[in-house]
Amino acid sequence: MSVNVFSREVKKGSAELMILALLEGRSRHGYEIGKQIEARSRGAISFQVASLYPMLYRLERRGWIEGRWVEKAGERRRRFYRLTAEGRQVLRRQRSFWHEFVEALDRVAGIRPV
Amino acid sequence: MDWHAYVRERLPEITGDAARDEEIVEELAQHVAQRYEEASASGATPAQAFDAAAIQLRDRAALSHLLREADRPRPVSPPPPPTRSASMLSDLWLDVRYAIRLLRRTPAFTAAAVATLALGIGVTIAIFSVIDTVLIRPAPYPDVDRLVMLWETDAASSTAREPASFPDFLDFKARSHTTDRIGAFMAIDGNLQPATGDPMRLAVLAVTPEMLEMLGVRPMRGRLLSPSDDVPGAPGPVLISERLWRSAYNGAELVGQSIRINDRPRTVIGIVPTDADFGIVQILRAADYGGGFGASDSRTRVDVWMPLQGDVKRFPRTTHPILLMARLGPGVAPTAAQDDLTRIASELEQQYRDDNDKRGVSIQPLSQVVFGPVEPPLLVLMAAVALILVMACANVANLLLTRGTRRLREVAMRSALGAETGRLVRQFVAENVVLASAGAAMALVLAFAVLRTLVRIAPAEIPRIAAVGIDMRTLLVAIGCAAFVALVFSLVPVAQTTRIHVAMLLKSEDRVVGGSDARRLRAVLVIAEVALAVVLVTGAGLLIRSFWNLLATPPGFDVSGTLKADLQLPQSRYPIQNNPMPTSTAIEQFNGALIRRILAIPGAQSAAIAANHPLDGGFASSFVIPRREAEAANWPEISIRRVTPGYFATLRVPLVRGRFLEDRDRASTPGGVVVNQTVMDRVFPGIDPVGRVIGFWGRPWTIVGVVGAERSQGVAKEPPIAVYLPLDAVPASAESLIVRTSGDPLSAASTVRSIIREMDPALVVSGLEPLSETLSKSLTQQRFVMMLLASFACLALVLAAVGIHGVLSCTVAQQRREIGVRMALGADAARVLRSVMAQGAALTAIGLMLGFGLSLALGRFLTGLLFGVTSSDLTTLAGVLVVLAAVAALSIWLPARRAVRVDPLVALRQE
Repeated sequence: MSVNVFSREVKKGSAELMILALLEGRSRHGYEIGKQIEARSRGAISFQVASLYPMLYRLERRGWIEGRWVEKAGERRRRFYRLTAEGRQVLRRQRSFWHEFVEALDRVAGIRPV
Repeated sequence: MDWHAYVRERLPEITGDAARDEEIVEELAQHVAQRYEEASASGATPAQAFDAAAIQLRDRAALSHLLREADRPRPVSPPPPPTRSASMLSDLWLDVRYAIRLLRRTPAFTAAAVATLALGIGVTIAIFSVIDTVLIRPAPYPDVDRLVMLWETDAASSTAREPASFPDFLDFKARSHTTDRIGAFMAIDGNLQPATGDPMRLAVLAVTPEMLEMLGVRPMRGRLLSPSDDVPGAPGPVLISERLWRSAYNGAELVGQSIRINDRPRTVIGIVPTDADFGIVQILRAADYGGGFGASDSRTRVDVWMPLQGDVKRFPRTTHPILLMARLGPGVAPTAAQDDLTRIASELEQQYRDDNDKRGVSIQPLSQVVFGPVEPPLLVLMAAVALILVMACANVANLLLTRGTRRLREVAMRSALGAETGRLVRQFVAENVVLASAGAAMALVLAFAVLRTLVRIAPAEIPRIAAVGIDMRTLLVAIGCAAFVALVFSLVPVAQTTRIHVAMLLKSEDRVVGGSDARRLRAVLVIAEVALAVVLVTGAGLLIRSFWNLLATPPGFDVSGTLKADLQLPQSRYPIQNNPMPTSTAIEQFNGALIRRILAIPGAQSAAIAANHPLDGGFASSFVIPRREAEAANWPEISIRRVTPGYFATLRVPLVRGRFLEDRDRASTPGGVVVNQTVMDRVFPGIDPVGRVIGFWGRPWTIVGVVGAERSQGVAKEPPIAVYLPLDAVPASAESLIVRTSGDPLSAASTVRSIIREMDPALVVSGLEPLSETLSKSLTQQRFVMMLLASFACLALVLAAVGIHGVLSCTVAQQRREIGVRMALGADAARVLRSVMAQGAALTAIGLMLGFGLSLALGRFLTGLLFGVTSSDLTTLAGVLVVLAAVAALSIWLPARRAVRVDPLVALRQE
């Protein structure tokens, strides 16, 4: 099923979690984050520039991720984002929250495949 | 392809910060460039690759808006709450920590709520501290409920609080069945010649030993006065106050030492606490006359206590120099004591018809005498801060309601996930306890600052004002206010959740059931705030007008360019002989020489000496008009003003009829006197009083002129009937020098002091100040109450403005989508503006109407503090309407302008 049929609210509410989770292992730049989300969701979820970058800047303002320009030899500089200590705590809490939520939904609506 | 230039062209301005915009453009350009390369690498044509990349920036207006919004600090979603732990205490601690975290993420809301609470609770604590110390705390007398003042009354002159005669005092003591103590005291002017330094003017209280016992005075060093000290002719030792002991003698060992008071050596037998004189000045001011230093100038503490040493020769029954205080017997009702003392007064009236004719006695509880005059203005101030506190709570309630509405989604989700209502309540209580505690802590800091200012500017006649501070009781008031706010307002957001359904979980907040209830409650709170602001601003406006009227009221004399100095001429060097009228060659010579030398100062235009300066009420006497003796019962006592002939020219008191006093009036028989306009209007209506005879002090005087009326009892009171007689005819030991100069009177002050010091180095000069300063000081209490109430009114205006602005901002934010739809469908900006402003205007109008109704109903409580204006003064009410309408208009305009700027496309995209 395509992301288009997913509720905007669900997508918006889970975007933070996805971005924080992708930055947990290593720092990435914005394009890579968008591609990873699309790849790992097998095309179910994709973000355009108008959704992805405002989200990144919001997370940066909150202090959950930190962006910095990195210049590699022979390449133009790119802005990489990494998870901050506070961002790690938020990621931990959001994972816990979504886990409970999904468990509750499953108990009510039986969402897991049998 | 220059993607950077492409993106820059699509997004010319994003955040307004050029450096930040450049970073964003660079990042987006790299993204679309990589998208293009990827599309090209997967086989797309350049055109197809370009479309794949450029589609990212299709809606540039929305993109620009989203980037701008995202780059601005925004309120964040609350982190998930802590999970439950084993013990309730741990849960509470978790809730508190979570609450602190939550509040730190919304700094604007937290700052607004804490600041509002701090203002409201802070001023409440400050004024409550004053009320608690001054009025609520019991007076420091033992058996205060049994202590009363014994005032003599005189039906002939319609006075109700006269000092008593010494023989009357002895008779009351001997004959009373209902009192177990009666003491007497008298205010005396004294001067002290310390071992080193300038002579000092002193406030001396001559007392009978019972007074100290009734006042509960305990000596810090030495002993109190004993009956043997009070015998006429005994050495007459003194007690001095701790304040004088430390300031003049640096706390040196003084008991048993001799000091010179009024040129006479006195042995110090004890030191008493500074607050031993509690209430004395208030009593002296309450007396119709004879208040001495307490009634006439700014001295408010007793420095020296000495024995009265009264005897009937020195104080015959015709003179009334002493004030009486009594302690009722145990269990004696005041009415029984009144009857008993009235019986004695009647017996005395029968026995001494000449001296005690029409004289009675009335008792008044001592606490009423001391606290009565300051009670009305302090209670008005307390009511005003109570209104401020209510307004502050209303503002905080509005803030919490708005916040609660925004958090409905969180609450709804937690409720759907199984959170109990009790758990939710505890969490909200924890948040509000943290808020209220922070507010209360800041309030204490504010209260300290406000109190320090209050104590500095408050009139000194407010009893115990110097001792005002924050104690445990006021701390409890602060904690109580904070707890009330925390608990009551915690319930509001939880009440909103009871109507939330799971199906509403993911909908936008303003569509959740309970949003309209919150809007109604917010509207009610704002209406209440506007109404209370009207009441406070009206009160302040009336007091400001009163004060303005006071300032504009001519005092009856011209203070500009005049300097005053008060002198104390000790009997030892300036003896007064009673032959039978008082005379003093030494005082007459001193006064004459002083005026001559003062007139020689460059710039001195005129000079005069008076027994009482123009704002000193002085004393009064009964009087008769020959062949109109029967009418004397209808006239009050006449104020006796003893002045040198130059007094009227120096103070520019206008001449109405006849002439001013001249030197010859002193020696003429009968002596010449001048009366004021009030005498002419009241005693001689339609008759020219010049040439008529007036009798007082047992002798006739001829009226030689009529002058304008001076407001010698204060600008707020009507001028009393007054008669002016030559100072040399009846000299005084205490007098005031008044000099009119062509320039700044202060520039002559040091010269005046030098001249007096040259003439008599041991003379005490006090109160050396421009007469305009004396006039200003006489309005201290009115100014104090007016300034405080005006400050509270300004605070009320700010709170009301914040309340209106907050409610309308919330309304605009919640109606953003609807506004967007209306504008998308063609509504013009003006219509949207009118709609939003109409909502604000409606709330304000209802609040104004309620407020004016309340003001008219409550205005009567201010009547005693007003001058020249009624509590329903239309000009003031109109002024209040204009001020509040202007403030409300500004508060409505700002959110209305934001509504007009809503971008329909953005609003429609928003959830």
